[in-house]
Amino acid sequence: METLLSLRGVTRTVVLPDDQELHILRGVDLEIASGDHTAIVGRSGCGKSTLLNLLGLLDVPSSGELDFLGTPVQKISSNQRARLRGSTVGFVFQQFNLLQGRSALDNVMTPLLYASGRDFWRRRELAMEMLDRVGLAARADAKPNMMSGGEQQRIAIARALVRRPRLILADEPTGALDVETGQTVMALLDSIATESAAALVTITHDHNVAALARSRYRLDAGVLQALEGVPA
Amino acid sequence: MSGVVGALVEAWQELRINKVRILLALFGVALSVAALASVVGLGDLAREGYKVQAERSQGRTATVALSVNGPTTPDPVRLEKAYQGIVERYGISYWTHTAQAQARFQFPGGVQDVQMTLVDPGYGFIHRTDVTQGSWFAADDEQRLAPAVVVSEAFYNAAGRPDLVRKPLAKLAGDQETTAVIIGVVPDLFPQAPPSAFMLNGAAQTAGIAEGYGQFKVWVQDGQAAVLMPAMQADLQAQFPDLYIDASRMDYAAYGDPIAIAQLAVGAIAGLVLLLGAVGMLNISMVTIRYRVREIGIRRSFGATSGRIFVGVMMESLVATSVAGIAGVMVAIAVVKNPWIQEKVAPALSEYPPFPVEAAMLGFGAAVLVGALAGAIPALVAVRIKVIDAIRF
Repeated sequence: METLLSLRGVTRTVVLPDDQELHILRGVDLEIASGDHTAIVGRSGCGKSTLLNLLGLLDVPSSGELDFLGTPVQKISSNQRARLRGSTVGFVFQQFNLLQGRSALDNVMTPLLYASGRDFWRRRELAMEMLDRVGLAARADAKPNMMSGGEQQRIAIARALVRRPRLILADEPTGALDVETGQTVMALLDSIATESAAALVTITHDHNVAALARSRYRLDAGVLQALEGVPA
Repeated sequence: MSGVVGALVEAWQELRINKVRILLALFGVALSVAALASVVGLGDLAREGYKVQAERSQGRTATVALSVNGPTTPDPVRLEKAYQGIVERYGISYWTHTAQAQARFQFPGGVQDVQMTLVDPGYGFIHRTDVTQGSWFAADDEQRLAPAVVVSEAFYNAAGRPDLVRKPLAKLAGDQETTAVIIGVVPDLFPQAPPSAFMLNGAAQTAGIAEGYGQFKVWVQDGQAAVLMPAMQADLQAQFPDLYIDASRMDYAAYGDPIAIAQLAVGAIAGLVLLLGAVGMLNISMVTIRYRVREIGIRRSFGATSGRIFVGVMMESLVATSVAGIAGVMVAIAVVKNPWIQEKVAPALSEYPPFPVEAAMLGFGAAVLVGALAGAIPALVAVRIKVIDAIRF
């Protein structure tokens, strides 16, 4: 399996207003390959979202090495990171983060506005295919405020996957859903990721969601550790 | 290519979704553009009306009056020969003598005094004389046995509005009874004006209305006046060395454009109105950006570069204000081309000029400028939004 992400001794530190340093991540080592399904669990405030931002190229480490498809992300510009992110990473957020006032179809087409070539010009067709894949083709014209939480998250999944990313990052994907809907959404996410051989990284504090992953880690006070009994 | 189209698609989506907010902002911009373009358009119309009015009374740009004065009166025959020499040597196309006289005409309602303007055929061109019926004088009209007259509307009414095709006669009352032929009618200079008429100089002398030829005026191209005036003055001075020669411009533009300052002042006010519209638009755009922080973060997470975000926000503003600019210019055209307004602003004109292209360009350009200003500042703010903070906003 090809290595997508490689983190070696990654730290993330922020300077507080009183000039004190807050170490959010400390010496994180992690390798993620194509087709992996990884869960990272931890309490609120342990640095899960910060790690997700680093994995999704939204942020850069304070120190250590982070390679994305062999490219050291600290050495590329923010615009290059943006393009790499757009073409290879799909995000699923806890609060769905759908664009209000726009239809489901418009939302799913949004990432394709930043694509080029055939993907850009065929964005409507591709978005409809993806809506069909998540079972919401009939709701293409519906706006987010007319949808249930489960439907909104399925739209968010369709939007995250419409550019066929190689890495899917899900931040508490079931956090705003009831247990049953959450399980359905996770099953959908897992099956689509498996079909496309994309790596799926789920950040969660729900052990039931984490249990669906093939490899699991715990993040505690900025330190990442493989969970016992689970191959890392 | 897909980047540009994508930015346009984004801008259009944003306009479509926030149409009420944008319409409110654009209403101010469209009104400001309409005010600016209308001021320029109406200013041009007023200028044209004033120009025609002024040229009717003072002569076209550039009308030069030549006079020979001095301790002794110059010999009229020699003076006239000198004037005609000037006309020939300097290739003058239009020239006229003008003098005022009084004559008594017999009308159906009785005898009335009529103000006569004694002219040569060139007067019609130099003074933009519009003939509403019949025709202006031709060169051979001086040879008529019955002198030709071009009369004012008031004169024509007093004469009972006869059919000009039948060459109606007008009797001059007095010691020497003369019959004149009405060949044309011109509008009154002002409402309730008394009857007046034009007659050729030669015919007036034959009829005993006047002696001598009055003031001599020539028309030259505006750009040539500065060169020709001293040349003609020197030419006459050489022929009349003991007399005082004067060559001076008579037209309204002799000392610059008299309504430029007024138009500039009104234009400045319209510019201030536009600035207020721009500030309103900027204000709304800045508030909107705050509400769009999360959306911008989401777009960044899906691969939008900072340049793309900047262009997107900027384009939204530019597309919107361009539409407002077009609407504003259309309103301005409707205002400036309104017949009632045209008649009030430029009563002297019988044919109105087209809406000035520069007014349309200025209005549209101002709208685009406002769009660029009201778009650039929020776009810079949008680019500086941190993606991580934005998504959690």
